[in-house]
Amino acid sequence: MTPLDAAPGRAADLSPHAEWDAGHTGCGELVLLLRNRLAALAPGQRLRVVAHDPGAPEDLPAWCRLTGHRLLEAKPPHYLIERRSTP
Amino acid sequence: MSKRFCVSLSCAKNDTDKATVAFVVANAAVASDKETMVFLSIEGVRLSQQGYAADIHEQGFAPLAELMGNFVKAGGKIFVCSPCFKKRGLDETRLVEGATVVGGAKLVEFLSEGSPCVSY
Repeated sequence: MTPLDAAPGRAADLSPHAEWDAGHTGCGELVLLLRNRLAALAPGQRLRVVAHDPGAPEDLPAWCRLTGHRLLEAKPPHYLIERRSTP
Repeated sequence: MSKRFCVSLSCAKNDTDKATVAFVVANAAVASDKETMVFLSIEGVRLSQQGYAADIHEQGFAPLAELMGNFVKAGGKIFVCSPCFKKRGLDETRLVEGATVVGGAKLVEFLSEGSPCVSY
């Protein structure tokens, strides 16, 4: 994971705190790895994900609904997910 | 919505594609905060033995041993059908991490408390 410097001052709301290129990983492998990536962040921090798997546009919104993480943006292959407050 | 999820798998090296996909789906379930159990029966019980899955690697998927290890590490459980296990003369001292040999009642209990189940 690549930690990013927070943009100082303005327009920082949707800036990611980390990025992850998931490549063509999909299905259970994708969400299990994603779970671990988000667990490494603090509640409320955001992860920018690049996921090229053809199932990701359906899977990632479903997974966020199941787990309570917030999908802030979905422009395949780019996604922005905010970590939930609970562990 | 149920908090549990069961994946029933009856294959091992006789259908490595099914065996692999079963654990991929199980990983999706455990990653989605479901209390997830893989029920190994029939030929599937062979996967309960240490080292058995080491040479199973379907194209386009992670190696099966890695999928199984990640599943258990994430909190998933593996139940192994006792009569199927005994029929094949497998070794209880060589169970993979997270695997428990169980009778049918354990499966019935898990499902009866409310769990969807997908079978491979």
